[in-house]
Amino acid sequence: MEQVYFDHAATTPPRAEVIHAMLPYLADRWGNPSSLHATGVRALEGMERARERVAALLGAEPDEIVFTGSGTEADNHALIGVICALREKGDHIITSAVEHHAILHTATFLEECGLRVTRLPVDGRGLADPGEVRAAITDHTMLVSVMHANNEVGTIQPIAEIGAICRERGVLFHTDAVQTVGHVPTDVRAMHVDLLSLSAHKLHGPKGVGALYIRKGTRIRSYLHGGGQELGRRASTENVPGIVGLGEAARLAGGEMSWEAGHSAKLRDAIIEGVLERVPDVVVTGHPRQRLPNNASFCVPDAEGESILLGLDLEGFAVSSGSACTSGALEPSHVLLTMGIPRETARGSLRVSVGRDNTMEQVERFLEVLPRVVARIRDSSPAAHPALR
Amino acid sequence: MATPEADKSIDLRGTPCPLNWVKTKLRLEEMQPGQVLEVLVDGGEPARNVPRSVEAEGHRVLALNDGPGGVHIFIERK
Repeated sequence: MEQVYFDHAATTPPRAEVIHAMLPYLADRWGNPSSLHATGVRALEGMERARERVAALLGAEPDEIVFTGSGTEADNHALIGVICALREKGDHIITSAVEHHAILHTATFLEECGLRVTRLPVDGRGLADPGEVRAAITDHTMLVSVMHANNEVGTIQPIAEIGAICRERGVLFHTDAVQTVGHVPTDVRAMHVDLLSLSAHKLHGPKGVGALYIRKGTRIRSYLHGGGQELGRRASTENVPGIVGLGEAARLAGGEMSWEAGHSAKLRDAIIEGVLERVPDVVVTGHPRQRLPNNASFCVPDAEGESILLGLDLEGFAVSSGSACTSGALEPSHVLLTMGIPRETARGSLRVSVGRDNTMEQVERFLEVLPRVVARIRDSSPAAHPALR
Repeated sequence: MATPEADKSIDLRGTPCPLNWVKTKLRLEEMQPGQVLEVLVDGGEPARNVPRSVEAEGHRVLALNDGPGGVHIFIERK
């Protein structure tokens, strides 16, 4: 049976070009990029070329890019690094209630350390209100962090508007752009961001590498302490093969983003339309227009998301329920609950995220299989048999 | 020494060795043979090391002008 991968929001397959670019740095260019000799310089060359490519994708300067071990590390670095640098300024940060756990749990940690955290709500489509950001900023606010696009429902936030408010109020602004970099334009100047996190494996790069954009002049401390790597901003010998892979993924994305977004959006729209037509009572989650081109997300009443996921897996389709990080957890997604979706409905969450290698034929097959899987689950669910409740 | 006409220029003052050479090399890779890159580096080690690495790679150092703000290296891409 052909396995169809519809879970690109969890991770993406590395491109062949990415693997090809990495191989020399796993083999003969194995030097430490901090070494001053020729062996080190060969590794440094690959790393700096990658830095230029990542910077180009973001409209940034190469020196504004710090390589990290993941998107999560970049998020932790942004929040904790700014708080440590601006301790004299205040004790307050603002974020949204629908962030990835890399932000939410870091915010909770900072709260435990004595900071005040405002978690802004979102509307029923997952959208944060820039006016609420403006209203929440006080003289003691050190940082605002709002994600560019949500990993579960795909809603794209009005980042440029929020960024402009923060800049006007003299407050640093971070965005977790893990879901968007390489998929939609992420020009850091246009978005008015001071800090931006990204992860290589979400744009067909390798796992174990990410980056933090730090606008020139931004006050931020290191998060990892040790050697003077990354111009003293992030200790630890760099993951050169991974970084080279990220650089190649960024180069490819820069050239192909608009084609890929168009291709994905066609498949996404066909999935949304088809599911609404064929699965009774289904609800589309997220914003109807301001959403990631590859994200189709739903709530299927009277069916557990996990059961749908497993049923589809047996039929050869890889999808997700909620976010991959929370799959397996019994609690419904915090994102859906914040959007005001009732707990019972939120249990039937389903995320279908397509990619460049998917086809319309795969979508058509999916639309034949899904109603069957849902009907089977509903038939066997206690909700369908009141006597069994 | 006469100042050659540069097609591109980069300011690498404050950039340590060997990162300044690597950044010079990446710029040269983007240029056509015969084009001239002007690199501004700090005096001392960078002004000695960058031209040495440039020549070891087969490019030509056309001029090395010591100024108040740093040293201007003019490199012809091979």
